[in-house]
This record gives sequence, structure tokens and C-alpha cells, in this order.
Amino acid sequence: MSVAVAPPLPRLGAKRQLIPVGRVALGIGVLALWQVGTGIMGAEWLPGPAAVLVRIWQITISGELLRDTAVTFWEAAVGMALGGGAGAILPFLLRLSPRLMSALDPFISAAFGMPKLALAPLFILWFGIGVPAKIVFVASIVFFLMFYNGLAGIMSVDPRLIATLRVAGASEWFVGREIVWNTAKPFLFAGLKIALPRALSGAVVGEFIAADSGLGWYIQNARSLNDTTGVVAGAVIVTVLVIGVNAALKRVQARSLAWRPVARDMTV
Amino acid sequence: MTAAPPILEVKGLTKRFPARTGETQSPLILADLSFRVAEQEFLTMVGPSGAGKSTLLNIIAQVDGASDGEIYFRGELIEATNATALNPGWNCQIGYVMQDDNLLPWRTLIDNVTLPLKLQGRYDDAAAARVETLLRATNLTGFERYYPHELSGGMRKRASLIRTLAYDPPIILMDEPFGAVDAQTRGQLQQDLLRLWNHGRKTIIFVTHDIGEAIALGDRVLVLSRSPAKVIAEHRVEIARPRDLGNLYKLDGFGDMFEAVRQQIQ
Repeated sequence: MSVAVAPPLPRLGAKRQLIPVGRVALGIGVLALWQVGTGIMGAEWLPGPAAVLVRIWQITISGELLRDTAVTFWEAAVGMALGGGAGAILPFLLRLSPRLMSALDPFISAAFGMPKLALAPLFILWFGIGVPAKIVFVASIVFFLMFYNGLAGIMSVDPRLIATLRVAGASEWFVGREIVWNTAKPFLFAGLKIALPRALSGAVVGEFIAADSGLGWYIQNARSLNDTTGVVAGAVIVTVLVIGVNAALKRVQARSLAWRPVARDMTV
Repeated sequence: MTAAPPILEVKGLTKRFPARTGETQSPLILADLSFRVAEQEFLTMVGPSGAGKSTLLNIIAQVDGASDGEIYFRGELIEATNATALNPGWNCQIGYVMQDDNLLPWRTLIDNVTLPLKLQGRYDDAAAARVETLLRATNLTGFERYYPHELSGGMRKRASLIRTLAYDPPIILMDEPFGAVDAQTRGQLQQDLLRLWNHGRKTIIFVTHDIGEAIALGDRVLVLSRSPAKVIAEHRVEIARPRDLGNLYKLDGFGDMFEAVRQQIQ
């Protein structure tokens, strides 16, 4: 290939470099506000940042943090893989049969509308208080988030692109792999952006109801002991987990959707 | 009509769209449309907007099925009135440049241009060299690694044009390929197209609603009626090639033909 003579694309302005500074300032502000709140309400009602940090340190050393995080993470991950995976794949299969899609539509809508939290006790009854019940609970939530995003992606496929490639000799299979998959991908990432945090919070909520380990169990246990520091520490750990998952997702997305105009991506 | 044997012959082509709910009449788009195209001929078809020009090309390219009629490619019947038996592009014999550039936004310019060749398993050194030549001829060299959204409208048009030229189908259909660009870019694209066509003469069916463009590019101009489309007139363009599109309008006969076509389209 010949050497590119075209000028490089313009970089974003220097103002962008102010963003990390602003973020740190905002973070400090939130911590300060938290500390002020603790001063007004009293440490019994709202434990301060320092006390929470100490607690996180203590459970890190004791091994509780690792154990409970691993349990919650595992439930969320397996639930996401099963439920989210099925939800993402189903639209691709339904594309092959529009009649089946319209036949199933009201049933999927009804299942989506059903409050999963109301069913959670049933899941516990069927699958016990262990990990499997939480996996099913998480899967039942994220399935629909991935399904509807995948469906929106498949609906937005441009028939003109398909016609162009078919004329140029593409098989039906190649059209699916190249056009449908690439069109749906940004939608699936948008789905993941919502579904991954929901998977974690789903696992935590499942553990509230009945569990013997996990971050949700830790928070619930602390609550029953009037241990507000434990409650806030648990909430902070879940938040950090969500932030970590989001950051990982953003990296994968940036690499996978590099072709898209920058302004169209949420880069927050 | 033409002395040379036709590469493509359209006989009595009819297309009826399914009636919309609430309407008893199903709209007739093409009515008993017939014409022939000779090998290496540059045929232009001009007609009012909404005359069914795109539908006609869609049927020839087998992206859409006809209601009735026959299409022969080098004497072989290729038209399918049964929509499930469509063979888009007739085994890569019929190329199709549509109104929109239809580049895949997730592929770079070079990957878009070479995709048909790769799909057909024909991307070898000779093909790569031809692509290279086409890129240079259309001033796209240096932009190979750019994504479509990073290119100008005119560049995308040129890329979509050479994507089809690169795999060299015997017939190329063009559906107002220069419709959506400004006048200056349009003139440049027309000149580019004529130069590329002069290199290796292909059979082109070029559809437009611009009378000047139809005369400037074509060997022969067919005038289509309002919907349902029929061929209502034929003009042979005797302007010598290579043509200088900038001065075309001053030539004898151009104005008369323009006026004649304009009257017929009314």
C-alpha cells in the first residue's frame, strides 16, 4: 500500500486535558460533603469516609472482602453470560423468521414487564439460597436488556447495504456476519453499558433476600447488626466494582468500534 | 436500433407494486418496457423523478423481481418473476452503483473497494494493481486507510464507483450516482467516469433525471415517460469522444437535443 499523504486527523483540543483535573476536584468535593454530612448527622447515622476506609481495610485483611466479592462477581458474571448471551443471540435468530418474531413479541414484552424482584423469592424456593438462584435472578434481568438492544440493532440494518453486497457476490451468511453483526454491535455495547451494572446490583439484591455469602449478604448482615459502617462499606465496594466493570467495557468498546465517528460514542 | 449484438435485452418488462391497504388499484410502475443495449455501449436513460427508473435498475440487477416480461443477458434469459429465485448481480455479471454510496462504515476505503474482489475470490496481484490504478485515477491515493465518515461526499462517490469498476463486471448499472453532490463535484465526477470508461470500454446503463448529464455522457439517450415508465423516444448522441464536458454545451446540436428531450419529458 502506498504511503499516506493525507494530513493526520485533528486532535481534540487542549480543553480536554482539563477533564481529569475536574474529576479529581469533584471527587474531593463529594468526600468533603460526605464528611460534613457525618459531622451534622453523627457517625452513628452516617459513618465518615475514614471509618469506612478502615472497615474496608479490615475486611480485606480478614479475607471477607475477597470471598464476598468473588461470590457476587461470579453470580453476576455467570448470570450475564447466560441471560445476556441468550438475549443478545436471540434477535439474530429471530431475524431469519419475521413471522416467529411477531408471534413471540407480545410474550417477550409481557415477560419483560413482569417484576423480577417479585419473583426472586420463588427463585430462592426453586434453586435454594445458594449461587444458582442469584444467577437465574441476574439472567432474568439482563436477558431483556440485551434482547431489546440487539433487536433495535437488527432493525436498523440498512437494506441498501445488503443489496449492494449481494449484487457484488456476497452470500446470505456473509451478509449476516458482515452487515447485521457490525450494525448491531454498537447497540449491543449500549446494552452492556446498562446490563453489566444491573447484573452486579441484581446479584446484590438477590443476596439481600436470602444468602450465606456475597456483598449483598454482607450489607444485609451489617444492617441487622445496626453496623452502619458495614452497610456503607459494602455499598462503596459494590460501586467500585461497577466502576471497574464500566472502565473495562469502555476499553473493549473503544477498540471494537474504532471505526465510528468519535462524537457518536459516549466517552464519559 | 443498434447493429451490434445486444449484451442486454429487456422485453415487455412490467412491474406492479402490491396495493396498499385501503387502495383497490395496485400501482403500475413499469408498463411493457422494452429496449436493447449493445456491447460497450454507454446508454443513458432520462426520465422525470418517480418514473420508476430505480425500480427498473433494481429488476435488471435482480435486487427486485418483475411482475412480467423478460430480460436476456447475452441471449440467456435471466429475469425472474419469482422473487425467491432472485440472483442479485447475476453471478457478478451485472454491477450496480446506487444513488447512495453504500460504503460499509466500519471498513476503510481500501477494504470497501477490494471487498467484492475478495468475496469473489479474485483478489490477486493483478487485481491489486488495477485497484491501485483506479485509486490514482480518482485521486483517492493516500486515503486508503480512511473510514467513509472521514471522507468527503465526492470521495465517497468515487470510492463507490471504483468498488464496482474494480471487479470489472460486463455490465454496470448506475442509478443517478452523482445526484447528491454539488454541481462542481458533479462535473468532476462525470469527467472521471468518462475517462475511466474510455480506458476499458464497458457496457453502462446510466439513469438520471438530468437531461444535460444524459446527453453529455451517453452514446444513446432513452427518454422514459412518467410512471408507468415506457420508452417514448431515443436519441443517438453523435458528439465525438473523448468529450470535454466543460465545452459540451457550446457544441452544435447539444441545445437542440436538450430542448427536444425536455419537450418529450413534459
